[in-house]
Amino acid sequence: MPTYSLTVNGRARTVEAPADMPLLWVLRDRLQLFGTKYGCGIGACGACTVHVNGQAVRSCSLPVAAVAAARITTIEGLSRDGAHPAQQAWIEEDVAQCGFCQPGMIMEAAALLRARPQPTDGEIDGAFASHICRCGTYNRLRAAVHRAAELGGKR
Amino acid sequence: MPVSRREFIAAGASAAGLWLGVRVPELAAAAPIATFDPNVFVSIAPNDVVTVWVIRLEMGQGVRTLLPMIIAEELGADLARVHVEQASPGGRFRTVRLHTSGSSSSSDTYRQLRIAGAAAREMLVAAAAAHWKVDAATCRVELGAVIHGPTNRRRTFGQLATAAATLPVPRTPTLKDPATFTVLGRPTRRTDGRKIVTGRAQYGLDVKWRGMLYASIVRSPTLGATLKGFDAKAALRVPGVRHVIAVNSGVHHGVAVLASDTWTAMKGRARLHVEWEPGAGAGFDSAEFLRGMPQRWDGKLYPIRDEGDATAELARSATRLEATYEFPFQAHAPLETMNCTAHVRETDAEVWVPTQSDVRTLKQAALASGLPEDRIRAHHALMGGGFGRRLFADYVAEAVQLSAKLKVPVQVLWTREDDMRNGYFQPATMERFRAGIDAGGRLQALAHQTTTSELTIYDLHDGRNIWTAPPKPPRADNAIASGGSPWGAFDNPYTVPHLRVDCADATSPVPVGPWRAVEYPSTVFGRESFLDEIAVATGKDPIALRLELLPRDVKLVGTQRIDRARLAASLEAVRERAGWGTPFARERDGRLWGRGVACSVYHTGSYIAMVAELSVARDLSDVRVHRIVAAVDCGIPLNPLGVEGQVESGIAWGLSATLLGKVDFVNGAAVQGSFRDFRVLTIDQMPKVETHILPSQAAPRGFGEHPVPMVAPAVANAVFAACGKRVRSLPITAEGMRRA
Ligand code: FES
Ligand code: FES
Repeated sequence: MPTYSLTVNGRARTVEAPADMPLLWVLRDRLQLFGTKYGCGIGACGACTVHVNGQAVRSCSLPVAAVAAARITTIEGLSRDGAHPAQQAWIEEDVAQCGFCQPGMIMEAAALLRARPQPTDGEIDGAFASHICRCGTYNRLRAAVHRAAELGGKR
Repeated sequence: MPVSRREFIAAGASAAGLWLGVRVPELAAAAPIATFDPNVFVSIAPNDVVTVWVIRLEMGQGVRTLLPMIIAEELGADLARVHVEQASPGGRFRTVRLHTSGSSSSSDTYRQLRIAGAAAREMLVAAAAAHWKVDAATCRVELGAVIHGPTNRRRTFGQLATAAATLPVPRTPTLKDPATFTVLGRPTRRTDGRKIVTGRAQYGLDVKWRGMLYASIVRSPTLGATLKGFDAKAALRVPGVRHVIAVNSGVHHGVAVLASDTWTAMKGRARLHVEWEPGAGAGFDSAEFLRGMPQRWDGKLYPIRDEGDATAELARSATRLEATYEFPFQAHAPLETMNCTAHVRETDAEVWVPTQSDVRTLKQAALASGLPEDRIRAHHALMGGGFGRRLFADYVAEAVQLSAKLKVPVQVLWTREDDMRNGYFQPATMERFRAGIDAGGRLQALAHQTTTSELTIYDLHDGRNIWTAPPKPPRADNAIASGGSPWGAFDNPYTVPHLRVDCADATSPVPVGPWRAVEYPSTVFGRESFLDEIAVATGKDPIALRLELLPRDVKLVGTQRIDRARLAASLEAVRERAGWGTPFARERDGRLWGRGVACSVYHTGSYIAMVAELSVARDLSDVRVHRIVAAVDCGIPLNPLGVEGQVESGIAWGLSATLLGKVDFVNGAAVQGSFRDFRVLTIDQMPKVETHILPSQAAPRGFGEHPVPMVAPAVANAVFAACGKRVRSLPITAEGMRRA
């Protein structure tokens, strides 16, 4: 089985995994980074969203071989103890219900805010169009993205 | 057996009798001696840490916030500093059931937890008074401390814990006057918000036990198919695949591939060759099933309501209306798919599981392992959505069986496709209504024919399975109505001189279970759509018509007391808040606009009226819901922020079923299998939601389900107002509108 040297949340990690194993399962089953969630496995829900070189990507659809040289950030590495403006705003707006979709949502928000520090509603719709929250927290989520922008979302 | 609402309340009551003075030996031994541990719900340590044990299971409805709020209120603790713990069955909680269903958490626990908090408060006050040698009546509590009013002396709960622990537990402590509440009624954020946003909240899969294997299971491809045989050779050749084993949950036969990680298990599974023997449901076709549904009303009918003589009145009515409404099969599709982690050893077992039911979890685990229930330790993980699906524990049976066979920890994960196709479904149902209207345009007779599907409790835990169980014995004539079912048909709140409701059985080979709001979504869709049709036929305003049919009284149906004044008040409130009477341009931005209303009671305790505002494309190619206004009376609103969240959540859930998703069966198999073909609402489709919580002194009523049923009829009625198309079958699609 091939070995990969990954940079996850600023730390060098070595994992043995088949080349086609999606990053999602490397994070969860090999590295015990459980914050990144499985919701569909086919890029249709967004629960598995992480950052690869600062871009929000679906880790369920990205083989580990493709990210060997990349910088990977998961929800656990987004900030120290929830200090990122998106995390702060999420708490302030009390977004989460079951919470299962929220790590993916927050990673998407963080990437969006870096690219568009003051996103419009249309840009928010675009960024989150293929994220599913079965609990329907969308209105608070939208409010939280705007709130995070106020708190200084470009980081 | 499902836990009935009545049994459930009885369990709560007996728990309430036992909590006083409960001390569990092993726990007491483990805890520091001085901890004040007056009952099973709360303990206070000398370092001022107040721990509240949550005796319901969290799936997003907010029990980990609300239940601690109730205790903190009566105790006088600082909620911000309360440490919240999830209760697990057994040990300290062996007399408490955690089973969480029917939006009953707050209504069932409200009194029980208030008494628990108040008793602890009185003991702390007594300890302080004794310490200062003053009259307890001169002391008060404030944010985790007792204060002696006249001298302003102060001792924290922690300082008092050791002394309080030696005092007798008061049996009838004095509860606070709700008018003086400072915690309850205040919008309060969830207690575990930080854990969730940092990815530290623990859900089902978020454990890895030493030596654990990961399982992926291929299950019956058609309803009730049984396993004939399988060839595991190719699967076992995948590096990392360890075992291939047959498994049986009572609902599905399956073949499990166990491997060193999830991905490898899935890869191995894809290489399995399995032979199936088709079962009784092999040819099932949902479209045909729905087409044949009206014939069921020609057969055996169960009487639900009979007031006046609807048949005779209909025969002589000046005007008669008739319409039939259809509700399809639905999947729950919680974002977290079913899963369970189990470790069965020689004499005991442990399961880690996101579930709504400790009761079914333990039964399934016991049957699948052969161990007695008290040798099984269940850890209740946070649920990534429940919605009724997690009241069943078929996934527990799978994990426990596999672990029992292999003697290593096993984690079973259902893929999204498994979850969509092999789960329990909301049954497809139909509602037929007939109205008799007199020459003066008054509704004189209403006949409602509804359908119900028996819940499929084919878990291993009741000793039956879906392939071999003999048909259930016929139900007694009053079996349905005596349980207050079908919800929404039995408790139809309107006053009609001649009312008749009958129910036909519509059980199919599809495993069905409760889906958010259970029977209300179908019955209320039909009932509230039909009222709109009556309003149109009689030239009345739909809200005015409803108010006409809702005298400001309490209607007694069976043992249920439906407070029609509260329902009328929510209609009046929504009329005003939605601007119902104000001019509304029907054509704007090249689209056709409409408003629609619907209302309903939920188990006598909560009342909602809803107005949907939407637009339809001129060519009927789409519907966009822009705004939903809800007026809500759920009794004393314990956490308004939670209530608003549940309204939004219920609306999103309802809109998914109204406009997007459904499940069809063809040749005995579910057609839809992922979020690509079973569509659910996304952010761009979410309307603006305005929630108005009406002040109320009535007992609080839980709220997780109630907002769902009004959504479909409010939207269908608004679609009619916009474009004149009456869609009587869900979901409302472009094709459905064009056909109407
Ligand atoms: S799990 Fe990756 S998008 Fe759904
Ligand atoms: S909060 Fe439950 S899926 Fe989004």
